[in-house]
Amino acid sequence: MNSISNSWFFEWRLAAIKNGMKDALAYRWDFLIDFFGQAIVPVGIQLILWNSIFKQNGNATFGGMSHSDLLAYTWTSLLFSQIRGGNYDFSLIEMIRTGSLSQSLLRPVGPVEFVFWRGLGDKLFTATFCFLLGTIASFFAGHSIMNLIMAMMLAILGNIIHYLFGAALAAVAFYWENAFAILMVKNMVVSLLSGELIPLSVVPEKYSMIWQSTPFYLYVYGPTQVALGNWSHATWLHHMMIGFVWCFAFAVALKITWKISIHRYQGIGG
Amino acid sequence: MKTQTHSIQVQNVKRSFKSVKKEEGWRGTIKLLTNPEYIVHEALKGVSFTIESGEFVGLIGANGAGKTTLLKILSGLIPPTSGEATVLGFTPFERKLAYRKQISLVMGQKAQLWWDLPALEAFDLLRALYQIPRDVYKQRVDELTELLDVTKLLNTQIRRLSLGERMKMEVIGAILHLPKVIFLDEPTIGLDVLAAQKLRGFLKTHNQKEGATIILTSHNMDDISELCKRILLIKEGELIYDGEAKKLGKHDECQMSVKLMSEVAISELAQVLAINESQIQKDEEDPTTYLFTISRPKLTEYFQILMQKYQVADIGIHEASLERIIQQIYQN
Repeated sequence: MNSISNSWFFEWRLAAIKNGMKDALAYRWDFLIDFFGQAIVPVGIQLILWNSIFKQNGNATFGGMSHSDLLAYTWTSLLFSQIRGGNYDFSLIEMIRTGSLSQSLLRPVGPVEFVFWRGLGDKLFTATFCFLLGTIASFFAGHSIMNLIMAMMLAILGNIIHYLFGAALAAVAFYWENAFAILMVKNMVVSLLSGELIPLSVVPEKYSMIWQSTPFYLYVYGPTQVALGNWSHATWLHHMMIGFVWCFAFAVALKITWKISIHRYQGIGG
Repeated sequence: MKTQTHSIQVQNVKRSFKSVKKEEGWRGTIKLLTNPEYIVHEALKGVSFTIESGEFVGLIGANGAGKTTLLKILSGLIPPTSGEATVLGFTPFERKLAYRKQISLVMGQKAQLWWDLPALEAFDLLRALYQIPRDVYKQRVDELTELLDVTKLLNTQIRRLSLGERMKMEVIGAILHLPKVIFLDEPTIGLDVLAAQKLRGFLKTHNQKEGATIILTSHNMDDISELCKRILLIKEGELIYDGEAKKLGKHDECQMSVKLMSEVAISELAQVLAINESQIQKDEEDPTTYLFTISRPKLTEYFQILMQKYQVADIGIHEASLERIIQQIYQN
């Protein structure tokens, strides 16, 4: 009986990941355009920005970083910005709003966890692709593959934190019926504080507390620093620990918000 | 878990919903933002009944009568405002794992399968979720898809299937784990006659073979009359009839079909028999055949009048249709 339960523990999660991956790849052109489009636009903006800053001011550094440092950061962060997030917390609010959460609530596995594992399929595919890309780049740039592996681990931890946070916020939809705006605002804040748009080290010291007091820097900025060799293994471990604490805190918040809010669910549209 | 005596027990279940009242125009929109007004709607007003294991029960009523609300309470999606409901000895809203593994809900208007994936991929995920051994799963999928005639469509994306084919896949997905209780909310909605008939035959066989308790809501009276021995009739949140479908039909009303030698205006027939025009229907395929919904004791009298006034080619007496009886109960 125990071995059946244990095998089920892994089996349904693997099946959900596989299913989510197939779902994401159902339309290959849409997948590729989404994947590359979302990566190229922020990178393009950053490249234009750095070139303008260095050309116009003629400075040797910006926020303590040289032009080549910024370019290295921009290209490396690209590997991790596609792993962070995902929009599967948006799936949850849509399910609550339209009543399609009903079927998930009656399955033998919790809807929040189920949506996570299905969504992770897509992200694991992206992570694998980014890892291969990073391995090739590391070979030419002389960076450590070990660092890349550690950076990937931090990025995946960031993805989990991001989902737990988004899913806890999604519980607002039980009250407001729609929580699209709150998740959009969250994503904008995350884009800024994760280091996806600018390296957080250029933020003046007196404001650095803002990003340091959130877990968002673990999504892109942290992994990029690890991959570039700017963080030691001990620093990486320290931030992994911080990540686990955030994970635990958001998991508790998620449990509480859903337990309270689920009473408000009406399963409309049936 | 409580001791199980019935498959489903419902005692004085009430459920109300609070919703925002939206007034017309800009004033209403601004009021909605600043000072919303709430209205409370009582969807169920103290419903009680029990259902034995293996019963196939029809839950019927007009739109907004409270049928779907009742199904949502029984399946565990929403809690009752007051009263008690137990299914298989469980309190549904607690949604214990053992409970969720034994029930299934099919909503005709909601898809549970994934739109962009073939049905087979969805079934495989459901197999993993419900811990169905692979060999049993394979055999079950083969059997169910063959019964519903959709074997060839297993590898087709769900969104590319017709409504009827999709519904068949939904039903297969819902019963793959052989649930002990199945809630079916309008499973034949939008289906053509053949697809609906096939699905009804399948559900009947499944109920007999597996002994699952099934509650079916439908506006299609063919579903109810073909499948359900017992019906629960709900009107404005109250249970107004609980009993055998055929006993509901034992009414003093019957239907008399009369084929005349020539076409006659319905108004004229109504005048001759001194009845309402709404009690007479003309056969769509044969304009000289009329269907009279009349009181049984008056049958001989009407028959004699028609024989005297017109040349009658054929005559037949039928029980009033379930649809007509329910319509009458609602109107009264």
